[in-house]
Amino acid sequence: MIIKKELIKREIAGDTILVPVGSAVYDSNGLFVLNELASFIWDLLPEAESETDILNAVLNEYEVEKETAQKDISEFLAKLEKMEII
Amino acid sequence: MQKKNTEPYISTYLHQKGRRLGLPIAGNFELTSRCNFNCPMCYVHQTQKEIELSGKRELTAAEWINIAKKAKDKGMIFVLLTGGEPMVRKDFFEIYDAMRQMGLLISINSNGSLLKGEILERFLKAPPFRFNISLYGGSNETYKNMCGIPAYEEVKNNIRALRKAGVEVSLNLSITPYNKDDLEEIYRDAVELDVNVKASSYMYPPVRINGETYGCGNRLSAEDAAMCSVKWDKIRFTDEEFAIRAENMSKLIDEFKDDCPIEADEGVRCRAGSSSFWLTWDGKMLPCGMMTTPCVNVTETGFEKAWEYIRTETSKIHTPNKCLNCEYKEVCGVCAAVCFTETGSFSGVPEYICEKTKAQVKLTEKIYRETEGEK
Repeated sequence: MIIKKELIKREIAGDTILVPVGSAVYDSNGLFVLNELASFIWDLLPEAESETDILNAVLNEYEVEKETAQKDISEFLAKLEKMEII
Repeated sequence: MQKKNTEPYISTYLHQKGRRLGLPIAGNFELTSRCNFNCPMCYVHQTQKEIELSGKRELTAAEWINIAKKAKDKGMIFVLLTGGEPMVRKDFFEIYDAMRQMGLLISINSNGSLLKGEILERFLKAPPFRFNISLYGGSNETYKNMCGIPAYEEVKNNIRALRKAGVEVSLNLSITPYNKDDLEEIYRDAVELDVNVKASSYMYPPVRINGETYGCGNRLSAEDAAMCSVKWDKIRFTDEEFAIRAENMSKLIDEFKDDCPIEADEGVRCRAGSSSFWLTWDGKMLPCGMMTTPCVNVTETGFEKAWEYIRTETSKIHTPNKCLNCEYKEVCGVCAAVCFTETGSFSGVPEYICEKTKAQVKLTEKIYRETEGEK
């Protein structure tokens, strides 16, 4: 998947935060905080070709129901799309 | 009334976490004491010649970048680049670009006069999180009297260009004897430019330039400073809002404080020295840029040790007992830097602030009654 915005992932005091570094004007919040699953998915994005790739990787890593994982992944990706990040 | 600048929740959260864990979440980098303006109330401005005579030197771009890396590794995410005027440094973008690439959220304090041409182009390609631009008056004449340069129109045009490109701008207004009659024009400009203004009629004594100026400065008398604050409220609030303001002030409640975010009831009440630090142009770390102590040389001591020293020493600072027990404490905005710069001691009671606060409460009520009487 293509990440459109230039963002750096930083770990600060146990929180994972995406900081914009590219040319885009910051929105008023500027920062995105990722939970553990979102952080895991974020790292998969450059190599993932489809949502199914991400789902398989999540099911390999976490003990979670397929439906729950699918729902969480879809929600996260939808948010990223809405923010024009992917 | 203009909307207030509200801090993103994540920023408040990170500062609280930083305070608890001892992390330097925010750093203020004073890149230079030089400036193309020459304002009489400035707490830091020095000419190149004065710097040379002092035997001090500005840190190099490489030194700033190195310190930023160390601070980032300890948790820093928010950076304020300030001066003097940061744009007078020929190597400004070397520092700015490097910090940006580290994943730091950068705000910039500027007088706005140099944000044009090539400099503007570079910022439009890679904008900061926010510009805090000082607006010093409502006409070229006021600028000439106060800053030495008739830059009013130019500054306004530069802000317009930034706003047109969607860059976040906030205005800082220092109310002084030189621009106190321009408040209506300044507010008008802020509305036209669609930016918020953070105004203050309180000017810290410039003790960093001259250690003998405790309680002094090219500033308004306490009574006049109070009058200007009330005048500013009258301009920025509607009649209904001013009535609420007056009612709250009569109960000694200040719901529109424009001061630093307050994190504690006692001691250094803001984030200085607990989740933020200040680096002077010559490489000294302070909790806050208005103070001269506690102070440690970062280039000699190293960032980590310097930060630990500042944290420890800051935690030893206490608010004067008289202030802690004062009925005006919620409206007066007393802080460690105010006590220190007004009296030379953190335990000194800043009489100028006491006088200004009491006058402001009284004048707010007086002007409210006058407005009501006219209706």
